Amino acid sequence: MLSHLRKVLAASALSLVIAAAAHAADKHKVAFVPQLIGIPYFNAMEAGGNRAAKDLGVDFIYSGPVDTNPVDQLQIVQNLIDQGVEAISVSVLDASSIAPVVESAKAKGIKLFTSDSDAPDSGRAVYVAQATDEGLGTTIIDELVKRVGEDATIGIVSGEATASNLNAWIGFMQKQATAKYPKLKLLAPQFAGGTAERAAHISGDLMAANPDIKAIIAVASSTCPGVAQAIETAGKIGSVIGAGYCSPNTARSYLKSGAFGFTVLWDPEQLGYLTVWAGKQLIDGKSFEAENKIAGLEKPATYDAAKGILLLGPPAVFTKDNVDKFNF
Amino acid sequence: MKTLRNLQGPALTLALLCGLWLIVIVGLLALKPSVFNLGTVTTVLQFSTILALVGLGQGLVILAGGTGIDLSIGGAVSLSAIIAMLALKLGLPPVLLPAVCILAGAALGAMNGWLVNGLALLPFIATLGTFFVYSGVALAVTGGAAQSGVPAWLLLWGRGVVLGIPVPFLTLAIPCFALAGLVLMTTAWGRWIYAMGFNERSAKLVGIPVGRVRFILYVLSGALAGAAGLVSLAWLGSGRPNIGQNLELESLTAAMLGGIVITGGRGGVGGIFAAVLLLVTLKTGLLQLNINTVWQVGIVGALLVFVLLADRLSQRWRS
Amino acid sequence: MLVACLLAIVIFSVASPHYATSGNAVTVLRNSVELLLIGLGMTLLLAMGGIDVSIGIVMGLVAIAVGRIVSADGSPFLAIISGPLVGALLGCVTAAVIVLGRVPAIVGTLGLLGVYRTAIFVLLGGQWLSGLPSSLTDLLSTTVIGIPVAAFAIAIAYLAVWLALRRTPYGLHLLAIGNSEEKARLSGIPVVKIRFATFVISGVLTGIAATFYVATYRNVEMTIGSTLALDAIAAVILGGTSILGGRCSLIGTVFGVLLLRILQNGLLLIGVPSLWQPVVTGVLILGVLGFEAASNRLPLARFRRARA
Repeated sequence: MLSHLRKVLAASALSLVIAAAAHAADKHKVAFVPQLIGIPYFNAMEAGGNRAAKDLGVDFIYSGPVDTNPVDQLQIVQNLIDQGVEAISVSVLDASSIAPVVESAKAKGIKLFTSDSDAPDSGRAVYVAQATDEGLGTTIIDELVKRVGEDATIGIVSGEATASNLNAWIGFMQKQATAKYPKLKLLAPQFAGGTAERAAHISGDLMAANPDIKAIIAVASSTCPGVAQAIETAGKIGSVIGAGYCSPNTARSYLKSGAFGFTVLWDPEQLGYLTVWAGKQLIDGKSFEAENKIAGLEKPATYDAAKGILLLGPPAVFTKDNVDKFNF
Repeated sequence: MKTLRNLQGPALTLALLCGLWLIVIVGLLALKPSVFNLGTVTTVLQFSTILALVGLGQGLVILAGGTGIDLSIGGAVSLSAIIAMLALKLGLPPVLLPAVCILAGAALGAMNGWLVNGLALLPFIATLGTFFVYSGVALAVTGGAAQSGVPAWLLLWGRGVVLGIPVPFLTLAIPCFALAGLVLMTTAWGRWIYAMGFNERSAKLVGIPVGRVRFILYVLSGALAGAAGLVSLAWLGSGRPNIGQNLELESLTAAMLGGIVITGGRGGVGGIFAAVLLLVTLKTGLLQLNINTVWQVGIVGALLVFVLLADRLSQRWRS
Repeated sequence: MLVACLLAIVIFSVASPHYATSGNAVTVLRNSVELLLIGLGMTLLLAMGGIDVSIGIVMGLVAIAVGRIVSADGSPFLAIISGPLVGALLGCVTAAVIVLGRVPAIVGTLGLLGVYRTAIFVLLGGQWLSGLPSSLTDLLSTTVIGIPVAAFAIAIAYLAVWLALRRTPYGLHLLAIGNSEEKARLSGIPVVKIRFATFVISGVLTGIAATFYVATYRNVEMTIGSTLALDAIAAVILGGTSILGGRCSLIGTVFGVLLLRILQNGLLLIGVPSLWQPVVTGVLILGVLGFEAASNRLPLARFRRARA
């Protein structure tokens, strides 16, 4: 038995050598820790990070949890700190629990910063943002009102109830609705966890409970297919439109079938690029300009020194007319 | 004779786990010597603390047999942390926070104990039910929002490190295991637990208060979950409604890997301790080598299957 | 169980004006398809004294295979055949470990759960299968004489299993193993064969569920099926199948699944946030089974059992 296990371990050790060799070079290291691996959105960020690493001559490490579990995420960040990775960026799952690793990074002189999802007041070096939370929340409401009018009922289906960035977006949606569209009826958010199936069930139930519902917002990218599918199977294309923060590849067929009216997203590949670039800046001890022209990006990134936010630019709105121009 | 064999099983597993652990360490040493510093030890122990506590609770419940299992243990971790933080918000003096957290866990455990003993529900069903209830209530009452406001002195304890060892591990995990080991090995209670796990009917016949022992073990498992919740509060600085997510499966893995036999009566707490360290070291090693995290899940699963098969094979050889 | 279902329906109908509509009934039934099929397999496993906590992930693996076929070739018939086949194959893998390796089912499938999850990730390579062609959907969402194909498939599956249980030695053997594996072996029942076959049957049913999943959602993501196993176990034990083995109720499973889905749907309709749904599931398990356990100990029940 023991010898058997030894064989297995030897085999896995061999594969470890190969993997480790790839990082053996003595370059600066920048890491990005997503909220969850294995979803197209973060894969695109990884691709952007790799492109930036090549351009800037740094090593890029991409490692994240398999469940949206903040403790697993912390463990990954802590291990990157122990490895001495000089700049670590995190798409924070839960803003309140990131404090221990921020402390431990500071003690070691490591630049810990957030990207994609922020932990304000945690002492992070900078937040690389795709768009402000406020911008995302208000854009989707404004775009929806353009399509369904002010006098409408709108449902919200989110992913994990504990994801702080998603909750921030929902907060701004609600704020925008009460401030600007008093007649708009925004239903209480429902949480589907990570699976498309649950999202579909909940969307179906929402449509049954509110026959006057005009639109459903899919907040987490993993809920997009479920929401769209529920609208298709209920035969409500045309009377209910879906919308959300999902990548063009995920939403393409739904945009074309009419189940989705539009989706709001930035280019995660560009965000990944900007993240690694910001990490390099931090390692080099350079500060950010109010407007940063970066060779690998389409548009300059703006920096808000007061809030410590490096902004990629306004989010893009994808509809059936422009979706085919994008591939991520 | 019987006791001799009982002790041999866990000792064997312990040796196997230590061997595996050494292999992981040596392998890591060969591949990436820079990993070895005090910081890594601290990291491993830091992430072991919670799992060690719930693994112990899970192990004890299974050890006592009667198809014992505690699927609600992760939910109890989340809910006890949330109850403690909500009590704080309602005006509880902060000094009492640790006590309330552990007591809340014990109460949740007592609920399980009552369902299993009083209502005679199967432990699997009872704790599956409370798993849904505990983890669901923790999320629903908070709406998923983390509860902040942990007093600063508690953070000092939760994040403190002495000689490279995290203080919660030193002051909570190690004493719990030492105590549990002592009780199991030297006291009548320990012998009762093994006896009822080995054969419940004869244990009853010789006058062991099986029901009472079982109830207390579920309370204990809950209290350990409460302690794990407390560690999470003191370490993260906030009460997280899903902190116990997946812990029911992870604790089960640790207990099984540690040589506790699912039908009860065989195994020891030393094995659980070794299994927890092995699991976390393995995870850390893979992370240090920047292996995709998804392999962790598979490797741990495969390890579990292998150890079970090894157990079966060794039994067949012996007989 | 039937009473509980009807009671729930009446209460929700009173509480929400949108509840008792045909559209909503269809929604509930559509949401139950996968769970009905997986629950059927789980019923057999539990009745045998086994369990499979990896079943949801197995459905995910099969869904990847079906999804790949649909997107590559477009022949929906091939996809329909491949679902149960791949499911059977994975059932063989699980059975090999649990039955041939003589590993306790709950721990063994827990280990396999980890392995299968890694397999899903590796197979998907971090991408999702999304926006799959609708060829399979068109085929499986049609109706025959006004009844959806899914309903036919489920009815046939339940009928086949019912016949196997009641009209062939398989049923007797299964329950005998559930009662006591040792005694079953001593009385000459081919224990290994029966147990192996049951895991494979469960795999086939999971494969069919996966086919319907792909047809309905046209999407396979990383986290697919992660909550299904526990839901299935909950539904089956609600339906009166004993987890210790030796007792099983197919119709009970049907009602168990429906009750879960009716409650989830109904609570949302009357405005209870979805975060409370697991709590309701838990209370339901404790309430129904606790009530049953308590009433079994009343003198009257004992009397009745003694006479029966």
